[in-house]
Amino acid sequence: MPGLRWGDAVMVALAVALVSSAFGVAYMPRGGATELVVTQAGATPRHYPLDVARTIGIDGAAGVTTIRIEPGRARCLDSPGSQRICEGAGWLERPGDMAVSLPNRLVLQVQGPGADFDSMHF
Amino acid sequence: MATDSATTDRRIAALAALAIGLQVIEAAIPSPVPGIKPGLANVITLVALLTLGWRAAVAVTLLRVVGASLLLGTLLSPGFWLSLAGGLAALLILAPLWRLYPGHLSGVGLGVAAALAHTTGQFLLAWSLIIPHPQLPLLLPPLLLAALITGVVTGILTNSVLSDPRIQRHVRNPPTTGTG
Repeated sequence: MPGLRWGDAVMVALAVALVSSAFGVAYMPRGGATELVVTQAGATPRHYPLDVARTIGIDGAAGVTTIRIEPGRARCLDSPGSQRICEGAGWLERPGDMAVSLPNRLVLQVQGPGADFDSMHF
Repeated sequence: MATDSATTDRRIAALAALAIGLQVIEAAIPSPVPGIKPGLANVITLVALLTLGWRAAVAVTLLRVVGASLLLGTLLSPGFWLSLAGGLAALLILAPLWRLYPGHLSGVGLGVAAALAHTTGQFLLAWSLIIPHPQLPLLLPPLLLAALITGVVTGILTNSVLSDPRIQRHVRNPPTTGTG
């Protein structure tokens, strides 16, 4: 390998440290969601605080979407739709996480205490 | 031996043409993840940096970004701005580092630094203006990892280009004999 220097090893070590810490910081499990916002076509958005564990159902054009709420997180338990896309989103616990049910024309999104940007509405 | 500015201009133009050619060829290669490319044109930027200086590298980079986007039909598109942001960020990090060549750093160290800066600069532009989604930083670690790998590869290629005797005689601060 022509021309390598010790500074290269330092630079690569710094880079590896940077990349590893980036992975650590980004993928640390982190909550922060405080409420669930359900947006349905043709209806005003509904807000549900993520405080008490409960199960709610939202009626839609294709059936009922069942949502499980627990302190700090929510998930879509059951929704009409053969591809199970809504259920596949899993637990929504970081501000901005969302699940979608196209048959029922629903968007479930959890939000945190601060203002955040929704890329769909930017 | 003094190099007059006309010769320097010709060399900048030649390097820019090479870089544009490489960028256009790379644009034809499908990449598995949008935004990750081998970045072979960065070898040209580094070679320009180390044989003609930092300002020449700036000129080559700007010519490459604008020229390639003219050929690809992406002038002033978001991809153009991302490319420009990445190129400028890489040049910014090379400004303090390039004088460490060849005593303390070779093309590999410079290539890694430039690649990480390039990716970070592109990401910051994308996050602030194009997709300000709160979870976009989740994409950054894999992009940085790809930048690390491609930075090492372009650095190795740069070293190998610079060790060619035909290029060696143009290198500023040439390595003293007996090292490397």
